[in-house]
Amino acid sequence: MLMMLIAGIAVLAFISASAMFLIWWERKVSAHIQSRFGPMRVGWHGVLQPIADAVKLLLKEDIRPAEADKLVWWLAPFFAVVPPVMAFAAIPFGKSLIPKDLNVGILYIMAISSVCVIGIFMAGWGSNNKYSLLGGMRSAAQIVSYEIPMILSMITVVMHANSLSMQKIVEAQSRHWNILHPNMLLAALVYTIAATAEVNRAPFDIPEAESELVAGFHTEYSGMKFAMFFIGEYTNLFIIAAISTTLFFGGWHGPFLPPVVWFLSKTYLCIFIWMWVRWTFPRARVDQLMAFAWKVLTPIAFVNLAITGWLLLK
Amino acid sequence: MVIIKIIKLSKDLVIGAWSLIKGLVITLKNCFIPAITLQYPAQKQPMTGRFRGLVDLHPEKCIICYQCVKICPVACLAIAHKQENNKKVISEFKYNMELCCFCGMCQQVCPTSAIYMNKIYEISVYDRDKTHINLLNPGKYIEWLNTSIK
Amino acid sequence: MNTSQTKDICTEEFLINMGPQHPSTHGVLSLELKLDGEMIRDCTAHIGYLHRSMEKLAENRTYTQFIPYTDRLDYVASMNNNMGYVMAVEKLLNLEISDRAKYIRVIAAELNRIASHLIAIGTFAQDLGAFATPLFYCFREREKIIDIFDQICGNRLTYNYMRIGGVQFDLPKGIDEKIKKFIKYMRSKVDDYDWLLTYNTIFLARSKHIGLLPKDLAINYSVSGPNLRASGVKWDLRKDEPYLVYEKLEFDIPVGENGDSWDRYKVRLEEIRQSLKIVEQALGALPEGDPTVKIGRIHKPSPSEIYLRTENPRGELGFFIISDGSAYPYRLKIRSPSFSNLAVLPELVKGLKIADIVCILGSLDILMGETDR
Repeated sequence: MLMMLIAGIAVLAFISASAMFLIWWERKVSAHIQSRFGPMRVGWHGVLQPIADAVKLLLKEDIRPAEADKLVWWLAPFFAVVPPVMAFAAIPFGKSLIPKDLNVGILYIMAISSVCVIGIFMAGWGSNNKYSLLGGMRSAAQIVSYEIPMILSMITVVMHANSLSMQKIVEAQSRHWNILHPNMLLAALVYTIAATAEVNRAPFDIPEAESELVAGFHTEYSGMKFAMFFIGEYTNLFIIAAISTTLFFGGWHGPFLPPVVWFLSKTYLCIFIWMWVRWTFPRARVDQLMAFAWKVLTPIAFVNLAITGWLLLK
Repeated sequence: MVIIKIIKLSKDLVIGAWSLIKGLVITLKNCFIPAITLQYPAQKQPMTGRFRGLVDLHPEKCIICYQCVKICPVACLAIAHKQENNKKVISEFKYNMELCCFCGMCQQVCPTSAIYMNKIYEISVYDRDKTHINLLNPGKYIEWLNTSIK
Repeated sequence: MNTSQTKDICTEEFLINMGPQHPSTHGVLSLELKLDGEMIRDCTAHIGYLHRSMEKLAENRTYTQFIPYTDRLDYVASMNNNMGYVMAVEKLLNLEISDRAKYIRVIAAELNRIASHLIAIGTFAQDLGAFATPLFYCFREREKIIDIFDQICGNRLTYNYMRIGGVQFDLPKGIDEKIKKFIKYMRSKVDDYDWLLTYNTIFLARSKHIGLLPKDLAINYSVSGPNLRASGVKWDLRKDEPYLVYEKLEFDIPVGENGDSWDRYKVRLEEIRQSLKIVEQALGALPEGDPTVKIGRIHKPSPSEIYLRTENPRGELGFFIISDGSAYPYRLKIRSPSFSNLAVLPELVKGLKIADIVCILGSLDILMGETDR
């Protein structure tokens, strides 16, 4: 009981530290890609910038639109933040450093992340704003359609490891990493693209950046509620990077250093790749996005599944 | 027929993926080039020799020909002179910094280079009265000079 | 659903105002869109938010005094505006200028064309969602051009460099090494933009076959500049009605095929390469002499009128001057390219989505300072 409490507190502390680090890291990576410096004033090379951002958002006035649907509007940020935090319960940080090794680990994570859609939809509806509603609906359509290729690509890994538990999937890669098999490589590519759309990051960031001329589903939020959407997004980013590390890159396996160091460095490298992609490509249009999901990714994922099944039966 | 479609689709996908990778290579290359921005108040960019800052005057060189007043497109200069011992002496040389469009024509037309443009570029003030400058006053740009680079 | 239920369902068009404040650098333009769900049925452009009555002001300024005003028309390509106006006045006065001044004018105009196209490309990529990276790269390159201009004439945006009869200053010592270094640097960077943007599959999907401008529509609406060339019409005033020393210099005119937004972007990228070629040749052929001219003389042309057009980066910039013998022009009319280019926008957006209108507006490369004068 005490161990579970300590594990919970440690994970929550790690999440806050990680979200703050990611906010700073995103700004630095984007700045260096664009030949400039990024935050430099607050602390050494701007490391205290997330704290300055947090203080600013805390001091902002919390405005509620008069005609908004009170309960729905108020609950929406929670649905954006709580599911990613809950998903941390099954992430294998190290050999025995996992808060709870569920025997349906990967299924649990996928189920919990699907709840994020409800948060976005509630934000769009509760704002009583035509554009937010359209932005929320588009985002919901995007997330729901990209879940299918994502899950299909995860199933290939599960078939290979013969178990849904996260630790067993990592242990099945003790010889060589999953990504070295060609069908797993294809699954990793499909997963990367689908996961980018799941967390609303570029090049699939229609809900955030350009949704019917205004800011999208989080237009009517200010202050700490907006900060919760923000933190939810970065936590989600960490989750999908952690999942991709676990499923495809060997989890915490690695020669000399302690396993948790390997896990974190692989995860942050994956996050760097996501940020790199965000600051390079233009945005896809909504109908092109949906066409890509249903007409390209899903068939490829199905074919990959069939090939994996055939390879395993041989 | 279906086979041809599948082959075409896979070719499109491969070409598309290759173009995306080429874009990623460019951004990664730029990640490792040193940044080119300056950290502003600590590092300031030096102004070039011909930079057109605020209008300034050497009163002893002025021959009171009124050419600068005539050529200014926005009429921001105002000169008055009086006779003293059969010689013309400037009594007033006002410069309205708000109207000035920094075109440099007063500097180009002056036959003695009495009027010129200095290198002050941080020219915002809090008070509208400060934008009307008396160019005969020797300490006219003292507070600006303390903040701008010469 | 049976018919009694479907009778009650009706859709109606709703009006959205893409208001004067835009999240892109086109300036203050107001577009009234009639939308049917996602499709645009009609689009009306409301301009005039940046009207500064330059043409009326010109009636109370001498010919030399009006030159700083022409800087502020197309504020991104200031040298080309200066040049157009000064050439019109010189033709009115039948003034000949020295060869060195002609070559310096060509160098300044072509460098400014590169700077203007860099902004067009950068903001086009930003409107499509490549959030800030191509924009920062374009501005980094443009910074080098602006530094060169800072050393030549002393200002970074509104140069006021051309004078009636020549230019303000001669080129400073050592500027040709800097320009040559810049040319070499820029050539490698244009290849980078090709890799980063031109054949990028998302960029192609967003801009190919969007905003098709057929040849006859472009000619009927008097679209000019890279927009016209992208539709397949090979018309460039530098080759078809040459002025200054363009007939002695060798360069190509890039022409597009379909007239969609991708072609317009590609034509601008190619024009940067051609302008680099022109600057290199002009720098090598620069004759000796004194290009400067004394100002202070009040020009009084004989009563006549003239219309002179030059190739601005955005199209055909024309100055129509009627002089009545006094020091002030009787009437000065500016034919701005962005005004005509903007007029074709309602024809291009019918049936497209809102995301596409942003793409088309970015590819037409409108500047409101020029449209509203």
